[in-house]
Amino acid sequence: MIEVKNISQSYVKGGHVKTLDDVSLTVREKTVTALVGANGAGKSTLLGAMSNVVQTMSGQVLLDGVDVRKIKTSEVAKKIAFLKQIQQISIRITVNDLVEFGRFPHCGGRLKDIDKQKVNEALDYMMIGDLRDRFLDQLSGGQRQRAFIAMILAQDTPYIFLDEPLNNLDIKYSVEMMKIVKKLVTELDKTIVVVLHDINFASAYAGHIVAMKDGKILSEGYPDKMITKEVLNPTFDHDFHIIDHDGKRVCLFFDHNQ
Amino acid sequence: MIWKRIIMSVLFIGLVIASIMIGSFADMNLATLRAGDENAWLVFWHSRVPRTAAIVLSAAGLSVGGLIMQAISRNKFMSPGTSGATDAAALGLLLAFIYLPTNVAITIGRLVIPAGVVQTALAFVFALVATIIFVMIINKLKIREVVYIPLLGMMYGGMIAAVSSAIAFHHEAIQMLNAFNLASFARLGHFEMIYIVTIPLIFVVFYATKFSIIGLGADFAKNLGVHYDRVVFLGLCIISLISAAVFVSVGPLPFVGLIIPNMATTIYGDNLKKSVIDLMMFGAVFVLFCDILSRLIIWPFEMNVSVTVSLLGGAIFMVYLIRGMSSGRVRQSKTA
Repeated sequence: MIEVKNISQSYVKGGHVKTLDDVSLTVREKTVTALVGANGAGKSTLLGAMSNVVQTMSGQVLLDGVDVRKIKTSEVAKKIAFLKQIQQISIRITVNDLVEFGRFPHCGGRLKDIDKQKVNEALDYMMIGDLRDRFLDQLSGGQRQRAFIAMILAQDTPYIFLDEPLNNLDIKYSVEMMKIVKKLVTELDKTIVVVLHDINFASAYAGHIVAMKDGKILSEGYPDKMITKEVLNPTFDHDFHIIDHDGKRVCLFFDHNQ
Repeated sequence: MIWKRIIMSVLFIGLVIASIMIGSFADMNLATLRAGDENAWLVFWHSRVPRTAAIVLSAAGLSVGGLIMQAISRNKFMSPGTSGATDAAALGLLLAFIYLPTNVAITIGRLVIPAGVVQTALAFVFALVATIIFVMIINKLKIREVVYIPLLGMMYGGMIAAVSSAIAFHHEAIQMLNAFNLASFARLGHFEMIYIVTIPLIFVVFYATKFSIIGLGADFAKNLGVHYDRVVFLGLCIISLISAAVFVSVGPLPFVGLIIPNMATTIYGDNLKKSVIDLMMFGAVFVLFCDILSRLIIWPFEMNVSVTVSLLGGAIFMVYLIRGMSSGRVRQSKTA
């Protein structure tokens, strides 16, 4: 279980002030939780703080009841996998190398049989076993993204945090990615927190939505409660138009009055 | 993969033998060695073997140092030579020559430290401080443009070199500084310092996976429970020690730390754990070849090895860059 208790943070990164203001949150188990909000709302900072990559100024994050800062980093890495947006990487490694890196917290770089088995399982689950000897720069965007998820799976953590996984992906790969995310919850019982920019992806694939603004959590709840004018308009400072489509809510965010 | 390794090993062994057998002392050959000729064996043990060992170690060291620098800065155009390490090592060595006795051991109490060790230590400390400052600068600036980092590094190195020149000028040691800056495997002085390179190389073999992981970025490393800052610091120590030991014993070998990692990774990939031995061999083969060339061209005299390394390495790197650019264009048009 992950509980965030009254964390605050403020720092400057790349000319922008990043803040979290007394944020508390209990991550719902075995669900996809989507963090939504405008740029600078603190979504990524919260995710970073929850996985102990970003240091907080006050408050604490409890992982199974223990302050995450008091746990060895290699132990945290066995519980929480944190993947930043899948970026262009300059180093030349194969899919197999990348997925083997996922076993690092467990074996420290010297792979045993169990580690090799986990690597094979992760590759098979993501259906990229035949690509294992290819270099990452030889893959398509969708294949590369599968490779990174396979690495996270090999890391074998109950919690998976994804920071803007849909950035730089076109629509086809974005949908594919969110389907995979949902499958990880239903088939492998993972608990996933994901930062999303597109509210419609949150509406369609998340089981829980957390709306953030100016470093605070405005509201949280099930998608049908969250995808409403009352919640979204103040979160994004924008007038939304919500329609029902096959039982899912869809937001129209362009100016429909003109 | 296995074939690449076999071919490279055969080349390596062949060049090592050639490097040992070629030289100005014509009476050293297989026949005289087998006959147990005292002079031949003397040349073998005191001239040829140390020289070949120095070539292999300095080339392997600079190749590995370059790859680690590229992982730390996440930039393929970085090397110990473009991050201030080499220039700072030169400054350290210059100060050691000016202010400390150069050929006698220094005694502190009962401890006797050979002058070569003191010089290497000073060069190491300067290189380490310079690279730490440089890495702090590039991390602070968060530069996205790939070319700015090596440009900044070259300017930074140029500034350190200018300070060295100023100090050398003040102490009338310009000639000495110029002599440092020409690499030679026939250098007099503290040649044995090159064996220090084995220490950082052993560290690299043990920490190979960690260095590959930090090449994927701080957040990526932290996610896997790797202490990013500690590994970067260890990496900078390794780079500095290699740069210092090579500089003190051989001198600056231009391009080696830049081109060898780049060429080796296109063949073997960047997973250091798998490729570190191949990388070292690749570097050694290149420098052995350059050295043999520089000994044969005006035989029985020899050319400065920096000259052949610069000419050959520069040409190879230019071809590599141009080919990389055109293949990069192909890749871009494919994804578009």
